[in-house]
Amino acid sequence: MNTVASTTAGSNSSALSRNKLLDNLLRILTRSAAIAVLVMLGGVILSLIEGSLPALKTFGLSFVHTESWNPVTEKFGAAAPIYGTLMTSLIAMLIGIPLSIGIAIFITELCPPKLKRPISTAIELLAGIPSIIYGIWGLFVLAPLLQKYVQPVLINTFDGVPGLQNLFAGPPYGIGILTAGLILSIMVLPFITSITRDVFETVPPMLKESAYGLGCTTWEVVRHVVLPFTKTGVIGGVMLGLGRALGETMAVTFVIGNAHRISSSLLAPGTTISASIANEFTEADGELYTSSLIALGLILFVITFIVLAAARLMLARMRRAEGK
Amino acid sequence: MNDHAPGQSTTMQSRPNVELMKTELSDPVAEALREKVSVRNLNFFYGDYRALKDISLPLYDRKVTAFIGPSGCGKSTLLRILNRMYDLYPGQRAEGEVLLDGENILDPKADLNLLRARIGMVFQKPTPFPMSIYDNIAFGIRLYEKVPKSEMNDRVEDALKRTALWDEVKDKLQSSGLGLSGGQQQRLCIARSIAVRPSVLLLDEPTSALDPISTAKIEELIYQLKVDYTIAIVTHNMQQAARAADFSAFMYLGELVEFGTTDQVFTHPREQRTEDYITGRFG
Repeated sequence: MNTVASTTAGSNSSALSRNKLLDNLLRILTRSAAIAVLVMLGGVILSLIEGSLPALKTFGLSFVHTESWNPVTEKFGAAAPIYGTLMTSLIAMLIGIPLSIGIAIFITELCPPKLKRPISTAIELLAGIPSIIYGIWGLFVLAPLLQKYVQPVLINTFDGVPGLQNLFAGPPYGIGILTAGLILSIMVLPFITSITRDVFETVPPMLKESAYGLGCTTWEVVRHVVLPFTKTGVIGGVMLGLGRALGETMAVTFVIGNAHRISSSLLAPGTTISASIANEFTEADGELYTSSLIALGLILFVITFIVLAAARLMLARMRRAEGK
Repeated sequence: MNDHAPGQSTTMQSRPNVELMKTELSDPVAEALREKVSVRNLNFFYGDYRALKDISLPLYDRKVTAFIGPSGCGKSTLLRILNRMYDLYPGQRAEGEVLLDGENILDPKADLNLLRARIGMVFQKPTPFPMSIYDNIAFGIRLYEKVPKSEMNDRVEDALKRTALWDEVKDKLQSSGLGLSGGQQQRLCIARSIAVRPSVLLLDEPTSALDPISTAKIEELIYQLKVDYTIAIVTHNMQQAARAADFSAFMYLGELVEFGTTDQVFTHPREQRTEDYITGRFG
């Protein structure tokens, strides 16, 4: 009896120690994976800072607000790409967000079941198109169409309207800030749509039914129940889209015109940070030129970081406002 | 109060129908009964599946009617027809007539939003909206009426007082409705429904997610609310039906097996199936 008991105890303890070993191994593996992320992030930041030091030393803070970008005289300023990046993303968001949320509302609340799958598949396919294809399509199809039909109308319509007159001025080039923003809005659409659709579907049917039960119309249910219930997820989707818009390189490079200047008109060519880097890296000779491009990258990194932080802050605010 | 029913109804072995109620009308107590909602020859389909078969029953004005029966018998389905909630889902359709004050609410031309404002609904689980306690109540009112701030305050207070919630929440009206306990949330949902001033209240297992004390509060509330509202309640809890309802409808496999006063259905059921269910032999 005694021996039996001791053997069971012995095998138990060996099983225990084996389990403990496995758990420790798992902990070490997962922890090092997590730390690797931090190391990589830190490495990217450090090398960006190190690479941009020459430019930042030479130009100081004026780098951020100087418009000129002259490789010949080696005078570099980031104002134009920063402006272009922010403006194209703003246009993309202004068009993309309402469109995406509209599609998501239609799919989750109003769509006949037969249409649901085709539309969802189309959205996913849209996300799968490589950005280079958006680029050529934008340059060879969209830009000429805009140049021929849309931009002249815009110029004529807003001619004489204070404020807007300047936004839509100048010759219709086809390519420019507006075209880049339009392409971007198409590119961010699938991301925002699929995330908002997914979070809309997490709203408990009973909650929606209670709103319908009070006599709400579909719009009222969406406005007062679905959107407040899912706002965290919706903002997350918008931020993902914004992140994509800020960093998108290839498609924008094709249609933005690549001119280092800030023009009040949206129809004028401009440039973005990522487009500048992609365009000029191969021809960047001289330490200062290269360093200036890396500094542009650092600025893009900072902008993205600020956007993310702002989103976090906004969510925290909302949560506090709710619980007050 | 319906002690007369058993004596009369034991002689009636026919299927539940309006005839029974006519005989009851001769009683002075029952005289005041008025059909608020009349369900007539109602059939309901989920796609091809026929979930309700020729249901006819009345909901009497300012009375509580309980729908009882085993799961899947169609009692919730019946409740959801009364405010046409099924309309939200394609493939579901109802045939027959449901008259609310003589008006057929199944008429495709009926104004759905107005109908749902006249018929409030409360669900199995509390469903407070993601907004403050105050706004949870004011939300429904704002949908239909433009009322000045002071009147809105009164309406909110009135609704909360009627659901015995006022004293518990009056100091935190601006905090989220999601922060309340389950029982409080459910009373908030009832308050939200009655704030719109409906004439009929539909309660779909309103206490199934609540503890016994909260359940008792809700039942007490039902008792008080029937002074002003016609109430239909779906419940799995036999005792609850016996305690809270004036009339009971026993349903089984999509059919209405028996309808009568709660006393009669529970003490002298006319149908064997009703008796089997009530005594716990199945279900």
